[in-house]
Amino acid sequence: MAQLSVVPSRAGRDEALALARTLPPPGPVPGRYWKIDLTKLALEEVEPGSVTSRFALSDEAKRKGVIATDLGSASREHEAVITATEGNAVDWRSGRFTALNAARRENGAFIFLPKGVVIEEPIVVTQRLEGPAAFPYVLVAASEGSRATIITRYEAAPDLELVSEIVEIVALEHASITYSAVQDLPANVRVFWSRRGNVGRDAELNWALAELGAGVSIGDVKSTTLEAGARTTIAGLFFPNKGQHVDLQSEADHPAGKTQSETIFKSAAIDGGQARFIGNIRIRPSAHGVDATLRDDALLLSKDSHIDSIPALEIGANDVKAFHGATIGAIDDEELFYAMSRGIDRHEAERMIALGFFEPALVRFPTERLREELRGALAGKIA
Amino acid sequence: MASGLNVSDLHVTTGDSGEILKGIDLKVERGRIHALMGPNGSGKSTLAFALAGHPSYQIVRGNATLDGEELLALSPDKRAKLGLFLSFQYPAAIPGVTVANFLRTARTAVRGSDLTPAQFRTLVFEQLDHLGIDTSFLGRYVNDGFSGGEKKRLEMLQLAILAPKYAILDETDSGLDVDALGAVGESLTTLRSGAGKDTGFLIITHYPRILQYLEPDVVHVMMDGRIVKTGDAELAHRIESEGYDNIRDEVAASGAA
Repeated sequence: MAQLSVVPSRAGRDEALALARTLPPPGPVPGRYWKIDLTKLALEEVEPGSVTSRFALSDEAKRKGVIATDLGSASREHEAVITATEGNAVDWRSGRFTALNAARRENGAFIFLPKGVVIEEPIVVTQRLEGPAAFPYVLVAASEGSRATIITRYEAAPDLELVSEIVEIVALEHASITYSAVQDLPANVRVFWSRRGNVGRDAELNWALAELGAGVSIGDVKSTTLEAGARTTIAGLFFPNKGQHVDLQSEADHPAGKTQSETIFKSAAIDGGQARFIGNIRIRPSAHGVDATLRDDALLLSKDSHIDSIPALEIGANDVKAFHGATIGAIDDEELFYAMSRGIDRHEAERMIALGFFEPALVRFPTERLREELRGALAGKIA
Repeated sequence: MASGLNVSDLHVTTGDSGEILKGIDLKVERGRIHALMGPNGSGKSTLAFALAGHPSYQIVRGNATLDGEELLALSPDKRAKLGLFLSFQYPAAIPGVTVANFLRTARTAVRGSDLTPAQFRTLVFEQLDHLGIDTSFLGRYVNDGFSGGEKKRLEMLQLAILAPKYAILDETDSGLDVDALGAVGESLTTLRSGAGKDTGFLIITHYPRILQYLEPDVVHVMMDGRIVKTGDAELAHRIESEGYDNIRDEVAASGAA
């Protein structure tokens, strides 16, 4: 993998920007549904603001030696770990906005879990994003046998217009990481992210991702199960409404046999909201004994809304279990009638059924408080 | 203002299948139990759905009132708010919505916030107890992965929580084993002695098994979209021993058209 110092040199930045300009913009080609044309976005004119991370870390975690700090200060004290981890899961050369992130980022968040450290209380990372453009970078290094839950939030300054984020997670043998990200940025913001994790022997990585805000949100999440016993879940939900465009890709990549993945995405669109979801399972040749599932359900709540749902299975080994199921449609008439026959008016019934529809993805989010917040935000979209 | 659930000259069709109900006249009064019996395909469930307001059933003519209020122009939720309840033969599953949430939402929709959360809880727990349902039921998703018996118990639970003025029970006894039928039957008996004592019941059934728990005041027999015979409980017993063939022959002989 291409290595780049976490806070890149001048020459490194120039190289990254030059590369970014040659790469095609992500997301669907503009057309009948997708109204966004990113070719007009001049990368060299994107003006960096800043990212400031705050961390809520329990006393228990501090006592056990967990590090949660910004990269600026971490890079001196934990240089060896960072050097060993950075670039492992995300190749900054892989896309226009990852390269842009490499060209422009000033700082980021760094979380390090020492060997065998298990902490119950979630680590909460709040990233304050100052405009016009912010380039967050999150690096999580989970040592052997460590376990933690990480909850990340954005906080947008009024001048924010563009966000390009990289999240990189390395879970070593027997480590277990749950990483939750809720994107609820203001409607004028365009956000691009690339979140990837490498999962070691008998380790576990669980993603819980919600795309609620921003006018344009384009992201890709990927877990790579590197060694036998590695498990990953990729759970996501998105719900574009008026003026919002969402394009997400997920990939469970299985280079090693006897590994597992479960991908579950629930989405809805209303009031002209547009989305595309591409869900990939990739089982490499000789990765025998993989068990991978992909479940992707989309709910259209108005005629002018649109979701493209594209499952893609690439299976190179014989002795595997791979399942995918996808549905797309409106609210079921019989469910609606049943609820209405109990006195619940159409609007409330639709809202209740739609919220219930999200629930299998919602329950993957780590705390009840977060789940309640998400339910509230989703309900708010069905005005 | 006319009290009761009144149906007059009701003709109903579904899309391309022609008229299923060919002129139904029926009056159910509060506190009374009417049984509506008839062979499969006679139109019993169509009557239930049409009265509850299912969008697939079109009213060709006729009308229906609930304590004097016109029903047929109303959306299903407004009919429920007037006090009509339908116990479904095949209740829909609503994945992701818990029974507890559904019951509270329905109760509030129909009755407003007439109970404090604590009172509501007490009511629900009492009814769970009557129905022999474990409290873990409340955390499950509505009808999602329920057995046939569990679905019917949930219908009875809703009936008890909503305590409607008029309840239509569509084949509530079908698909139940003896134990489940017993639980549902006893819950109806309990309901009749409490919150449901003023409820008027229209109990749709193919076989009269459920009627051993609820002795009907009136029995109607439906065939081919019409009510062809009305009698007392004795008529149900007759159907139990003879089936529908004799009645069909009598109706044919009398030239009912």
